[in-house]
Amino acid sequence: MFEIIKPGTQIDFVGKRFIWLGLSGLAMLATFVLFFTNGLNYGIDFTGGAEVHIKVPVSWDISKVRVEMDAAGIKGLRVQQIGELSLHEFLIKAQGDEKSLNLVSGQVRGVLEKQLKPGEFEIHRSDVVGPAAGSSLRNSGFLAMFYALLCILVYVTIRFDYRYSPGAVIALFHDSVITLGVFIVTQKQFDLQILAALLALIGYSNNDTIIVYDRVRETVKQHPELNISKAVNRAVNETLARTILTSLTTFISVFALWLFGGKVIEDFAFTLMVGIVVGTYSSIFIASSLVISITNYYDKRAAKLKAGGNAKTGKHQMTARPNPGHVSG
Amino acid sequence: MTRAWWTKFILLTITVILSLVYIFPTVANLDPEKTKFPFKQKINLGLDLQGGLYLVLGVDFNKVYKDVVERQGDSFKARLKEKGINVTSMKLIREGLPLDDVHFSVEFEPSKRNEAHDVLKKEYWTLRLVAETGASFELGLSRDFKTEVRDRTVNQSIEVIRNRIDEFGVSEPVIASQGTDRLVVELPGVREIDRAKDLIGRTAKLEFKIVDDKSMKQGDVAALIEEIEKKNDIAYKEGQKFSDYVRKINELAKGKIAADTEIAFERTRGPTGQEIGRTPYLLHSKAEVTGDDLQDASVQFDQETRRPNVSFSLNPHGAALFDKVTGEHVSHRLAIVLDNIVHSAPVIQTRISGGRGQITLGRGDGDALMREAKDLAIVLRAGALPAQLEFLEQRVVGPSLGQDSIRKGATASIIGSLAVFLFVAFYYRISGVIAVFSLLLNVVFVLALLVGLEATLTLPGIAGIALTVGIAVDSNVVIYERIREELRQGKNAQGAVGAGFQKAIRTILDANVTNAAAAIVLFMYGTGPIKGFAVTLLVGIVTTLFTAVFVCRLIFDAYLKRLENKGIQTLSI
Repeated sequence: MFEIIKPGTQIDFVGKRFIWLGLSGLAMLATFVLFFTNGLNYGIDFTGGAEVHIKVPVSWDISKVRVEMDAAGIKGLRVQQIGELSLHEFLIKAQGDEKSLNLVSGQVRGVLEKQLKPGEFEIHRSDVVGPAAGSSLRNSGFLAMFYALLCILVYVTIRFDYRYSPGAVIALFHDSVITLGVFIVTQKQFDLQILAALLALIGYSNNDTIIVYDRVRETVKQHPELNISKAVNRAVNETLARTILTSLTTFISVFALWLFGGKVIEDFAFTLMVGIVVGTYSSIFIASSLVISITNYYDKRAAKLKAGGNAKTGKHQMTARPNPGHVSG
Repeated sequence: MTRAWWTKFILLTITVILSLVYIFPTVANLDPEKTKFPFKQKINLGLDLQGGLYLVLGVDFNKVYKDVVERQGDSFKARLKEKGINVTSMKLIREGLPLDDVHFSVEFEPSKRNEAHDVLKKEYWTLRLVAETGASFELGLSRDFKTEVRDRTVNQSIEVIRNRIDEFGVSEPVIASQGTDRLVVELPGVREIDRAKDLIGRTAKLEFKIVDDKSMKQGDVAALIEEIEKKNDIAYKEGQKFSDYVRKINELAKGKIAADTEIAFERTRGPTGQEIGRTPYLLHSKAEVTGDDLQDASVQFDQETRRPNVSFSLNPHGAALFDKVTGEHVSHRLAIVLDNIVHSAPVIQTRISGGRGQITLGRGDGDALMREAKDLAIVLRAGALPAQLEFLEQRVVGPSLGQDSIRKGATASIIGSLAVFLFVAFYYRISGVIAVFSLLLNVVFVLALLVGLEATLTLPGIAGIALTVGIAVDSNVVIYERIREELRQGKNAQGAVGAGFQKAIRTILDANVTNAAAAIVLFMYGTGPIKGFAVTLLVGIVTTLFTAVFVCRLIFDAYLKRLENKGIQTLSI
């Protein structure tokens, strides 16, 4: 029997939980700050704009492409070489209003047809998104993420209870935010595909959390003598092999996509890779720690309520009086 | 093995065979025309894989609303007059209103206020009273009517675009509405974005032309065309531009048909939109009346026969023209031509004066007649109330990029899956091999379901299949880890497997429910390639539940039986 984690392993995950929570909190805070300062590098799906992916002969280098396209009068022009250098493929980007964008693909084709023979060049892809369509795609995209989180909040609340559901959803939110953070730091282009990958991740990375939570609940039931921290730590250890293995197999598939899947889905696969790693971390460290904090919070509140209404001031303590019960008759 | 096991096994075998039949044409890349294989359907490839043009169009309703309000106003004014109520002034109100809301005010004699109210209430459900004084109404479109106008406009835009797309001879174009105000057009294989945009963005042109039955009978026209086709070796084939064909025929027919006439065709379509018949007409080249003069058209029911007919109304200019042309051509046919394609050629029964007419349809059963009436009303309205379209998104993928994507996506998926298979088989030994087998079946089921549901496979969709393999293993891992735990607690093989499956199912269900929730949101939000991703994820969730819980268990039972027969107590897991 191969075992990556030996049975009976007892790593203290929850003891240092404030370190993990603090680190994740900081990372999320940093992402928020970066989101409003540096910002995401939105692709044209969300900002509007034009992108034409062309292949030209070796005699055309990047400056030649730029000069020719500029001469054609493309507004807000940017030229970028993509893929392997030997392939001589370029991305022609343009910004502007609806009217000028609508012309771009025709202008590019015009230049190539005029200067080159058919067969010497190829237009691989051409995307034009109007500015209005872009912003509506962005809004509905973030809305979709919100709905997905909401669905999962509702499900986890029904399936477990209020002690668990906030942790699960905060963990998911954490995963999405950190993955977004990676996109801000690397300045990789954030487009519709990436958003789709994030949505899929919201569904997927909850799986590990549920496995841990299921076990926490089982442990609490079977061992009422354990306090919540001990129960959680035990559950995390017992499910550790599972958590790592499930993530590992999915990671393998996605890694292959990233490595061999080609330029078009490279970033899509990259998002999934980052998300799977972050999601696994959050299931082990964050979601479990949150259950402890939330349970403690509820317990304390319950104790306070029991202690009576003046518990806040602490001056006048009142002990609970036995309930006189209903007077029958 | 028990009877129940065999029943399940046979069920599984049938499912597998059926699935293999479904995916065989795709995998073997059969040519549907030549093969003798009974099942011919192949998996649909998205535009990002086969190359083609994807457009999102926005319908500009504001102009349509304004036109409709104007026409409603004219109609209301005319109706009041008929009732003997004098309208002293009528004007359009746009100031201070949102762009999609236009009102009009009518002023009338104060003494006839109640009568005017009556007309409005009884006859104009289409209008909404916004404000009133003793001698005037301010009216806008009612909410129901606005919705109807919206739907009609979207439908007529779809019809107009479909009409024009035939120009490209695309074999499987998709033209669909998205939300309430958008259209998605997918043209596989088309790369000429500018020509496509030019064609689609043009406003519809509707003309009424007199059919020339005098100089040549319709049968003779057909014979003439056949002769021209044979002599010059031209014939229209799918994939060609229809207008080129029509132009060629007309050029070659010159001198054989009367001057100032032209040949035009009516095209009959089958349920999926392919052409099943073509009727030639000889028309007078001059358009007697055009769509500009048409106000509206709708389907109405004859009070006596309960059969649908199409009623239409014209503006005063059009009414005068129509009066003249119908008076001169009673018992002739008047062709209704949209973008140079004949849609109908009803016989003029009487002179039509007053700017209102109706087209009765031929014989036929109720449903077909209704459909015909609706189609004709759409054609007429397309000319009367042409909607402006804006291009919101235009995406073209060249065929070589699509081919490259398929190759790379498939390679990556296969490599990824093989790596996962190896890992699982290594980690769980014989149980791992069982898992690999159920994963393979999983992929077969996913592909078969995609073919069966006529879903579209996109590049993210291929990634979705690879991801499904990765996620499906999770279920196996959850089950196996549980079995291992049960074994550690001292259960025998049989007991551990039973308990492992039973306890793991709940977790597996949970995991898949949240996956499905996200995939459904994705499905609703996404379009094009993204939608393809959501579909494969959803299909993958269903097949994963089936394979992990049912198939895997079935094989495990056989494996346990084998161990028992050999007297072995330890499970290879």
